Amino acid sequence: MDQMEQVVRIFPQKLRAMLMEAGTLRVQAEELRLRTGQPLLMKAGGEEWYLEGDRKGWKKAGGLKKSSPCYRVTEEDIRDTLEYMSRYSLYAFDREVRQGFLTIPGGHRVGVAGQAVLEEGKVKTLQNISFLDVRVAREIFGCADRILPWLYEGGQVCSALVISPPGCGKTTLLRDMIRQVSDGWWDKEQGGAVKGVTVGVVDERSELGACWQGRPQNDLGARTDVLDGCPKAEGIMMLIRSMSPQVVAVDEIGGREDLDAIRYGKNCGCKLLATVHGCSLEDIKKKPVLREMVEEGVFERSIVLESRGRPGQVREVLDRDGHCLQR
Amino acid sequence: MRWIGACLVTVGCTGLGQHMAQQWRLRLKALELLRQMIYFLKGEIVYGHTALGEALERVGKRCRRAEGERGFKELPLFFLSVAERIRRQEGEAFFVIWKEELDKACGLPLMEEDLASLQDLGKHLGYLDLDMQERQLLLYLEQLDGQIGYLRMHLKERTKLYTSLGVMGGLFLTVAML
Repeated sequence: MDQMEQVVRIFPQKLRAMLMEAGTLRVQAEELRLRTGQPLLMKAGGEEWYLEGDRKGWKKAGGLKKSSPCYRVTEEDIRDTLEYMSRYSLYAFDREVRQGFLTIPGGHRVGVAGQAVLEEGKVKTLQNISFLDVRVAREIFGCADRILPWLYEGGQVCSALVISPPGCGKTTLLRDMIRQVSDGWWDKEQGGAVKGVTVGVVDERSELGACWQGRPQNDLGARTDVLDGCPKAEGIMMLIRSMSPQVVAVDEIGGREDLDAIRYGKNCGCKLLATVHGCSLEDIKKKPVLREMVEEGVFERSIVLESRGRPGQVREVLDRDGHCLQR
Repeated sequence: MRWIGACLVTVGCTGLGQHMAQQWRLRLKALELLRQMIYFLKGEIVYGHTALGEALERVGKRCRRAEGERGFKELPLFFLSVAERIRRQEGEAFFVIWKEELDKACGLPLMEEDLASLQDLGKHLGYLDLDMQERQLLLYLEQLDGQIGYLRMHLKERTKLYTSLGVMGGLFLTVAML
């Protein structure tokens, strides 16, 4: 089953039929957005599209007006979709809903927004969910090929931080890095094989491995152990203690507790592969916790991504001191 | 010939009485199994935070194994078929799947009232948060407890009554016909 089929299958019958009729399966969509009372929007090929009301096809959203004959998402659509995509078990996704997203089979992420219910000043849950953002996750084999040679020094893997704005493919890149570091790869420049190493992945949001009943659905390599659904800081400690990985990989770090766990990992001799939201290394240095990590030299490589029309474009690879290795 | 007929009537009526007594026992056994399955389901949902489809599958498999070849397979199979429909992702509402699979589950020794309350349970499963799930399951378990208590309390009396009514009825008919 390809990614689009996986995504279309999370919708209940009515929406699914409309999406199929509109030929959504043939489109390489990046995102689908559902907002109560608003047109159903899709982002594909760097453009935004809306679902037409009568012809049941996709049309560029550039010329979308209030009077345009588009399909408008109803309250029932959102409610049924939410119920269906949670496999009739919204209770099982309590923690995810509190954080504002669900991860569905295939590792696709569905962002949710609505009315927050607070308890002692903290978000207890979300109710009246009226906005859904379905982001299609893609496994792109070989997307890390260009940066792999920079990821090694003296035959050893370097700790690396992937810096990227949202939607620029940092998770996709990290996934391929994990796979290749784990399986080993062929270095064309040196003309030799690079051996695979043991990788431990803490997949808090199930986006990297897309685990289903504990088994990764995405290829993360033959020497990879995955701790699924576990908070990053706790997971890093657990993996190091239990699975003795040579490399630990985590997606979207940023909290104080992440820093402590990463320090612990570094002191244990593990290398780290991580991602973070940002536009540049300077951007990262403005954030207190991340600045500490950079200043301590936790990461020997920083890989900065940008979106030039399509996601996953490497802008530069920097060394520990911020010197550019590749542009 | 007349005596053969008389014997057949007596045996038939006795058999009918026995059958009714057996139905009472089977209904009790089925409800007890259902109660056990709902307890397992509650455990999976409340303590394991397991999604409904997986929870139904695990409970179904476990109880099918425990029941073995000679036990009640219909209830575990009902859970397994609901889990299978959820897995197939056909886009239907949960209650529709639950109701359709329950309608298909033939051979259950349950009365209409038992089936109606089991069907009602499907209306609320999966809806809202964990507390709500637990409350719904506890409410259903309470109903089951009441029903099981009633069946157990009257088990001896009813089985005796049905058996003797069968025999007596057969004898009465025989005498009346002779």
